[in-house]
Amino acid sequence: MSLHPVPSDFEARCNATFDAVMWALARPGVMRDLPQAGLAQVVDALIDRECAVHCPDEALAMLARRTGAELVGPEAADHVFAETVTPEMPDRLACGSDLHPEDGATLVAGAVFGTGQRLRLTGPGVDVEVIVTIGGLPGDFWQRRAGAMRYPMGFEMLLVDGARLIGVPRSTVVEVL
Amino acid sequence: MAYVATRGGERAIEQSQRLFKAEMGEITPERVAEIRAAMPYLIDRVMGEASLYDEDLAALALAQTGGELYEAVLLLRAWRTTQPRIAVAEPVTQEGLFTHRRISATFKDIPGGQVLGPTMDYAHRILATEVLDGEVHRPDPVEPAARPSPARQPSVAEWQAENGLLTAAVPDTTVGNDIPDVTREPLLFPAKRAHTLQSLARAETGGVLALGYAAQRGYGQAHPTVNELRLAEAEIVVTHPRGTQFSAGRVKVSQAEVVDKKGDGLRLGFAATLGWNEVKVIAAATLDLNAEGAPKGAPTEEEFFLYHTEGVESSGFCIHFKLPHYVTFQSSLDAMRDAKAQKAATEKSPEPAE
Amino acid sequence: MTLQTLTKPWEPMSYGFLDGSAKREIRRKMIKAIAVPGCQMPYASREVPMARGWGTGGLQVSLTLVNPAMRVKVIDQGADDSVNAASIRRFIARVAGTPTTMDTLEADLIQSRHRIPEEVLREDQVLVLQVPNPEPLRPVQPNMSIARQMHADADYGRMWLQLYEQIVRSGRVMQGASYPSLVHGRHVMTPSPIPRWDVPKLHMAKHLTILSAGREKRIFAVPPYTRVEPLVFSDVPYKVEDHADLTCHRSGTRGFFMNEIPQDDGTLVFEVSDSAWGVKAIRRRDGEEVALGETWYKNGKMPS
Repeated sequence: MSLHPVPSDFEARCNATFDAVMWALARPGVMRDLPQAGLAQVVDALIDRECAVHCPDEALAMLARRTGAELVGPEAADHVFAETVTPEMPDRLACGSDLHPEDGATLVAGAVFGTGQRLRLTGPGVDVEVIVTIGGLPGDFWQRRAGAMRYPMGFEMLLVDGARLIGVPRSTVVEVL
Repeated sequence: MAYVATRGGERAIEQSQRLFKAEMGEITPERVAEIRAAMPYLIDRVMGEASLYDEDLAALALAQTGGELYEAVLLLRAWRTTQPRIAVAEPVTQEGLFTHRRISATFKDIPGGQVLGPTMDYAHRILATEVLDGEVHRPDPVEPAARPSPARQPSVAEWQAENGLLTAAVPDTTVGNDIPDVTREPLLFPAKRAHTLQSLARAETGGVLALGYAAQRGYGQAHPTVNELRLAEAEIVVTHPRGTQFSAGRVKVSQAEVVDKKGDGLRLGFAATLGWNEVKVIAAATLDLNAEGAPKGAPTEEEFFLYHTEGVESSGFCIHFKLPHYVTFQSSLDAMRDAKAQKAATEKSPEPAE
Repeated sequence: MTLQTLTKPWEPMSYGFLDGSAKREIRRKMIKAIAVPGCQMPYASREVPMARGWGTGGLQVSLTLVNPAMRVKVIDQGADDSVNAASIRRFIARVAGTPTTMDTLEADLIQSRHRIPEEVLREDQVLVLQVPNPEPLRPVQPNMSIARQMHADADYGRMWLQLYEQIVRSGRVMQGASYPSLVHGRHVMTPSPIPRWDVPKLHMAKHLTILSAGREKRIFAVPPYTRVEPLVFSDVPYKVEDHADLTCHRSGTRGFFMNEIPQDDGTLVFEVSDSAWGVKAIRRRDGEEVALGETWYKNGKMPS
């Protein structure tokens, strides 16, 4: 068997995307760079026919469908891609169970960094505390998020602003300042 | 100076592999072809455990590993995991199998008839030592029956269901990519039915036999009778992107159904695998028969037998104990010595009375 | 839609051996593992061209993360040159074209069996630990399904009882390596069979640790700045191996985890277990300019 230790462009891009995603969740609130702008990057790196995806945006839904993923409602989705988060979304996402916390969803959403609510993040991956300013989410989003989750049940968030990424796993406590 | 001869480690690996290969000599296409032709049952066993039906690759794996079965299966599985999935075949039914051998122990005769087919069951096991003296052992030619048995046979269990002896299994209508695949998702318990049957199909023959035999000897709740044992060929029917269905070929399969009485009916245990491997499917069907209601930790409990008959995992773990463990050993030694010293200290100076 | 949009150019082998679907599945499970520190996440664990039990779990994580710019270090029992470490390192380099190193400071990704290097890992480094048995509850509950329920209920009573019984019988906790530890105050985890010496290195560390059991198909993680607390009773403190005062007979370095080497004359000598650290100490002693990183232990003590 001959070897091919050179990644394709697609492979390299997915690898770089996941590197950003992994570190974003390992260090909540610390901004990371995606190789290219947009939620589509995360679709490419994570989604395939084994996934159930909810995606209100047409173009992204097309992309997700092409990977072979099943398109479903938010409650049944293991991944949700939304350019705009709706107010009721936190209550509708899968949080898994105590027995299977891994069944909690991953929400990949558009957001605006640098304007909006000032947030204090604490928890695993945070060195004491980190303060971030994130806009583009519904006003009571963080309260509803806290109400919807009971650790270790919950969902992960990957917030994307252009080619910048901030991760907020379920283990992060978010305080609106 | 290097702290340790780093290159030495890599050189040692290289030379140890050469030593292993040196004993087997050249691997030629002829050798692979001969293994394939001469050892169909070994090829079948390896293909079943690898979940990969390709006689040439199985023969190659055996040639490359010198017949080290666990290594051969690992080699095939590692190859299999890299292969793309082009299509999912249509389900095969018992009635559709091109049947070579089909026997039942539950009735003297069964609808469709007992078909002995190829077997060594009634052979006297005497070594043909004359071959070592230079003679050629030529099998006597097969004399065809006056009336060939039908290629396709009805299912015994179906007849029993029709006659109220057992409750027919509910057909699973899942098709294509929706069928859970134990090689692509983790095995969790209680296991999905597909995962159980897939795990048994790729289980290690010896492991299945050991636990199945334990159940048969009395460590199980059910006593199996072979309802139906089949060696057959199954048509692989796939759908062309244009929509037409066609056969991509036939694969050898074995399947066993075993029954035991349960209340006023029969309960059924089932197993099937790629290739012809009677011991494996009977033992596996016995385990399946015993699984329901088995106590936690019993050899007949699903979690117990599915974990412990996984040949690549169990053999890998077993040989991993050859790896150095001196760090963990050091850590235990430290705890032991400390406990000993503490004990000695307490014995020397007993606590003064208050 | 054309046929070409549905296919990709033919490759003799996927980059990094694992195909795209295997990598995506591991990525998805790593996300969950990081999000719930110390909680075992089931994954498919594909077969790789190495025997189960020989680092296939760690290898799958490494192969998912690597790219041609990532420098990889592989150790087994603390040593870069042990045959299994050499074999894994060679495989990763072969299928992913990655540069390799033995120097902890130079590594981007460290795959390890049974040790954490003595030099402090940085915020940009990933430590991948190979895990033979991911279930800390196995000594008290061998059944995986029941153990999973116990984790769900945070039912660690039997675990505590076992430790208590050891103290009553032997005067101390007899656990050698794999010391069960509570992660983020919620999940009890095995830190993999690292010595007790290494467990405090995981507590509020700067680096990311991914633990992966290939044969048992479980992945779990300790993100940076996460509490990892060995299970101890408040009146019986956690005790690391008594190695603080041992000196390496080859490198002269002192106050680190050692291998004990029995001699023909019945005596013992010690050599430092972290081989790359030992090499650097020798080279520095011989007058070479070598960068030594900050170490977790200082004078044989872990600063609290």
